[in-house]
Amino acid sequence: MYQIKQNPVVKKLGFNRIVLSMVLIAMYCFFAIFAKNFVSYNRILSALNYAYFLGFLALGVTFVIATGGIDFSIGPVMFCAAIMSGYLLTHYNWPLWICLIASIAIGALFGTFNGYLVAYKNVPPFITSMAIMQISKGVASVFTKAQSVSWPQLAHENGWYRNLIRVRVGNMYFPVGLVILLITAIICAIVLNKTKMGRYFLTLGSNKEALRLSGVRVRKWQMLAYTICGLLAGVAAIFFVAAYTTVQPGYGDQYNNEAIAGCVMGGTSMAGGLASIGGTFIGGMIISILQEGILAIGLNKNYQLVITGIIVIVAVYLDVLSRKRRV
Amino acid sequence: MGEIILTMKGIDKTFPGVHALDNVDFELYKGEVHALMGENGAGKSTLMKVLTGIYRKDKGTITYEGKLVEFTNPREAQQAGIVIVHQELNMLGHLTVAQNIFIGREYMKGVKIDDARMNVEASKLFKRLNIDIDPTEKMSNLTVGKQQMCEIAKAISHEAKIIVFDEPSAALTESEVDELFGIIRDLKEKDIGIIYITHRMDEIKIITDRVSVMRDGAYVGTLISEDSTKNDIISMMVGRIIYEEPKTKSTVAKDAPVVLKVENLNAGRSVQDINFELYKGEILGFSGLMGSGRTETARAIFGADPKESGNIYINGAKVEINNPEDAVKHGIGYLSEDRKRFGIVVRRTVSENSTMANLENFMKGIFIDKKKENTETEKYVESLAIKTPSVDQLVVDLSGGNQQKVVLTKWLVKNCDILIFDEPTRGIDVGAKSDIYKLMNELVKEGKSIIMISSELPEVLRMSDRVIVMCEGRKSGELRIEEATQEKIMHLATLDD
Repeated sequence: MYQIKQNPVVKKLGFNRIVLSMVLIAMYCFFAIFAKNFVSYNRILSALNYAYFLGFLALGVTFVIATGGIDFSIGPVMFCAAIMSGYLLTHYNWPLWICLIASIAIGALFGTFNGYLVAYKNVPPFITSMAIMQISKGVASVFTKAQSVSWPQLAHENGWYRNLIRVRVGNMYFPVGLVILLITAIICAIVLNKTKMGRYFLTLGSNKEALRLSGVRVRKWQMLAYTICGLLAGVAAIFFVAAYTTVQPGYGDQYNNEAIAGCVMGGTSMAGGLASIGGTFIGGMIISILQEGILAIGLNKNYQLVITGIIVIVAVYLDVLSRKRRV
Repeated sequence: MGEIILTMKGIDKTFPGVHALDNVDFELYKGEVHALMGENGAGKSTLMKVLTGIYRKDKGTITYEGKLVEFTNPREAQQAGIVIVHQELNMLGHLTVAQNIFIGREYMKGVKIDDARMNVEASKLFKRLNIDIDPTEKMSNLTVGKQQMCEIAKAISHEAKIIVFDEPSAALTESEVDELFGIIRDLKEKDIGIIYITHRMDEIKIITDRVSVMRDGAYVGTLISEDSTKNDIISMMVGRIIYEEPKTKSTVAKDAPVVLKVENLNAGRSVQDINFELYKGEILGFSGLMGSGRTETARAIFGADPKESGNIYINGAKVEINNPEDAVKHGIGYLSEDRKRFGIVVRRTVSENSTMANLENFMKGIFIDKKKENTETEKYVESLAIKTPSVDQLVVDLSGGNQQKVVLTKWLVKNCDILIFDEPTRGIDVGAKSDIYKLMNELVKEGKSIIMISSELPEVLRMSDRVIVMCEGRKSGELRIEEATQEKIMHLATLDD
């Protein structure tokens, strides 16, 4: 046996992520040529608005997919967290910072509930997360009596949370959100690759029973993956309202698929056991540029749904192919 | 001998990181039983997967019935008459025997499946092979041996001209092996060419005409079975001669303390009222037929399955073991018989698999100390002679014997005092087998204690200090090694009520 030599730089960065970065750049160039006024700072900021909340969702779901599970509830859970905490802010006049924490807590709560059912009650994650998707939509509607919620504008005394995505510096905006997302991604990558928790996530994604028979309390760790996923959906909610302020109950499904698409595109295997946070980060960016570009060249939003769907199929198919080769 | 039916020439195949087949030649006559031998990772299975279209070859030619062929999937090979009986059975437990045999090409009556006709056809097949199986029986109710017979019947029903057996005897009892050989002799008379992959030396003379040996992905040579000796074949396989000394008397110290005591253990029908003691520095053999409850007993002790009642004492103190976590905490390690399902984590690396049970000791604050992990793993890779390019290799790329050694490493890294080895050498070649025997002897010398479950009687007699025999979920007897013989064990294993 001998090992095939690989360029050390390529090995370090990962072939997948290099290709993905090139796709990102190529896509940007494509829209720069074919869409009007695409190359502008405002366009980039607008694409980033989308990238923030989507990025947090995708990072979260990466943990769940790494364990061999799936979570179809993150979009609606994000909406539920945004709506409920926003309602607390605007109708009950709770302090802003408590509302922000509430948003994260609501996400984590849904995630934990989901994880509990999957890990301790052996309900398939497909089913639990579908159910929680419905529950979170329902809870949000009931809580606000089916009204939409508008978070305050920047000028309002409670508007400072909007600075989480960008701060005005002279005539320009500085994208604070990108910095926060990047730091979160780096922390996620460290957690996944360097800590016991991440190791257990990946191992139980590949062979849960073998890990259990090694004396590891697998149920606890499995549940925790869903908790983290929900928690990051709660964070995503903050960045969603910071960008768009208004949220309506009953929506959010679309973002599940986009987050999962970003994640699998980045090289995380739907079969569990293999995950790449860097890939997820770039994958989320690609989806965001895509949606901005599609609007910019004058197509309607439905085209984006079609393209995201195709991306999911292609990415999963490539994963299946690469596994077949290895068996 | 008859005419040549198959010639493989200059077959080459490379996987990422591994040169699996290096210019391999192979030849088969009609009506010949041709053994294919070699250590794990020698490339036997890969060669057969190339033949049956599961893998594409990089180089070389395959001539079948005088024509150059290249199968792109197993179905094409099957239609041409080349069928493989896999080591791991591909049977659907919830279907009947007949439904399994005709799966994918069911007899139809309009839009309905014609079960009656399939049962009749299956009966005919069994009659031809002199097998006594009811085609309407559910597959999951059959023993592993009978399931294998069904797999063979399925192969015959494809009008096979070449049948590849991938370690068919690994999971069979002795009488089932005899039955299998009867069938193979029948097939031979029908001019079917048979490729027989095995690790068992004694089978070579009994059933095969020629034996080809592979080593490290390359073809070494072919011998006429009748004229070859065991040592000839072994030295071709490993390039060295292995000599194993059977144990004639117990090596346990007279005053050795009891480290594990199991009292009135019950867990379903497979584990009824089990009592035994394990002494420090002892290898306690667990013998019995398939399904006699040995694995279930081990799993109940280890907390992998729930138990109904019973007490477990470790070093004299009563302990509660309700899950594997408790067991590991009390210094018990369990090496499962089913490596793929319960042992290895195929998509993770060698070092990650090795430290899985003991990650706490490889932490630096909240981070995993990768360097310490790798150094520790490398130590075992060397001492157990695990064949891997590096400790960062995914376990999926390793051969069966090396995967087994990785699972062993996991428990050695954990430094357990009580080790339960369930079929530790199943499906492993002589080289790896002797490595594992050596290791077990070293472990007990260090004061560890081992429970060894094994279906191979020579192995039980060679390794154990004491033998417990199980039959139908009960302990049917206990023998000191000085008094144990194959006959006595078999007698206890097949007790009638």
